[in-house]
Amino acid sequence: MSKKSGFMKALKCRECGREYPLEATHVCEFDFGPLEVAYDYDKIKKSLTKDALAKRPQTMWRFRELLPVAEEPTVGTGVGYTPLVKADRLAKWLGVREAWVKNDAVNYPTLSFKDRVVSVALSRARELGFDTVACASTGNLANSVAANAASAGLDSFVFIPADLEEGKILNSLIYGARVVGIRGHYDEVNRLCAEIAGKYGWAFVNVNMRPYYAEGSKSMAFEIAEQLNWKLPQHTVAPMASGSLLTKIHKGYQELIKLGLAKDTKPVVHGAQATGCSPISAAYKDGKDFFKPVKPDTIAKSLAIGTPADGFYALKVMKETGGASDDVSDDEIRDAMKALAECEGIFTETAGGVTVGTAKKLVASGKIPAEDSVVLCVTGNGLKTLDAVQGHVGKPDEIKPSLREFEELIEPDLKVKTK
Amino acid sequence: MAAKKKAAKPARKAAKKAVRKTKPTAKAKRAANPRKTARLWLMFPQRLITKPVVWELSQKFPVITNVRQASVTGEIGLVCLELDGLANDVKKAVAWLERRGVSVEPVEINVIES
Repeated sequence: MSKKSGFMKALKCRECGREYPLEATHVCEFDFGPLEVAYDYDKIKKSLTKDALAKRPQTMWRFRELLPVAEEPTVGTGVGYTPLVKADRLAKWLGVREAWVKNDAVNYPTLSFKDRVVSVALSRARELGFDTVACASTGNLANSVAANAASAGLDSFVFIPADLEEGKILNSLIYGARVVGIRGHYDEVNRLCAEIAGKYGWAFVNVNMRPYYAEGSKSMAFEIAEQLNWKLPQHTVAPMASGSLLTKIHKGYQELIKLGLAKDTKPVVHGAQATGCSPISAAYKDGKDFFKPVKPDTIAKSLAIGTPADGFYALKVMKETGGASDDVSDDEIRDAMKALAECEGIFTETAGGVTVGTAKKLVASGKIPAEDSVVLCVTGNGLKTLDAVQGHVGKPDEIKPSLREFEELIEPDLKVKTK
Repeated sequence: MAAKKKAAKPARKAAKKAVRKTKPTAKAKRAANPRKTARLWLMFPQRLITKPVVWELSQKFPVITNVRQASVTGEIGLVCLELDGLANDVKKAVAWLERRGVSVEPVEINVIES
């Protein structure tokens, strides 16, 4: 196990501020508050400069001083630096002056933003001497852990509810992960996974490695800022499941300000949810700083967390930055997925539909002023949720091998075009 | 009859001995039902907010209850509870809480992610 700590100082409780050693631990023993990585920003300031960045490869690890690894990363070294697409046609659909899409639907290697958090968790797990990694997941996280562990030669366990669809299981099995289905209702599975995480000496990425894992999300904010030539966006819309991504995007922007890499232009962060699972958005609308747990019922399965662990902190960030939250129905999610595909050629999964659909609502309600600029965080690929749009995107026309039939078919379209 | 009785006695003794042999030792019992501490978030729906559920739990099951954090409003009650006891008792206590209508999650809250 490495004794080095790199640019990290300690793990710190978000509630009481107590500090803990940089080990695989995740809650404060005093008040059970979540632990977060604290950094030595003076040391980082000397190392992370724009000149230094110019010489580094285009992956998320170019910001490695602000990521919780002690030495050079060893897992997922090619992750990140996904395109930031200027989305003029989508901006018109949204009704806003300028829109950008941060497209993690093409993140490497498993086509979701989870590759960011997993590569950080696994790199740190290796530094701490683990040879087995694990997670409890119903989708993107499982795929990413399985793939990144395979490429690093680590053993992996993936825990899933036993009734999960076969397609989602295959996406983890293919990488040789040991996939364990657990029978029982959601809370039982949840409790057992927490127990397993506590009992075995494994790096459970979203349990004992969580303080490191969650920090990976900040890289999305760093990249957005650099891709906008070090100007922080006026507005950022992020999807909310646990609420962690939104809080880390905010933390990422604040760190860049602290290091003098970007000016403090008061970036506003907004949160998007699906109406069928909207505890954070509902709390925001009610003006409360706590949320009521809900039973999820939405096509946006990757955001279906009824008791969001970081919900309280996400609400706090939105309040602090002047951000807002809204939610969209299943039909609005599909419409937004289609709009993003038709306007920008980007096929996102349902979570991306939630982000785009919610952004449209926020523009319509004036929470994002029409004359402003907005960055939308698209976190996963549409190929993973084909069932959500099946039967909602029309059918192909079918003709005999006859030119006459083809011409009859397209005649109405041609008439419209020549008008 | 007498001969039969005589023959039956040793057979019963042997059977008793066999039962004794298969009875688990205290060590085996402890291994099968070890002591454990569960760290849980309990969520009380509105109708249960005024009920002394944690007290009831401690009366019904031989577990040590330790409230580590709590936030109770008119709408929802959130209690972070440590439950210490034999694994089976802790399991039964959690099942009882759920039957009572309290949602019980690990202190990590959501371990299962998408």
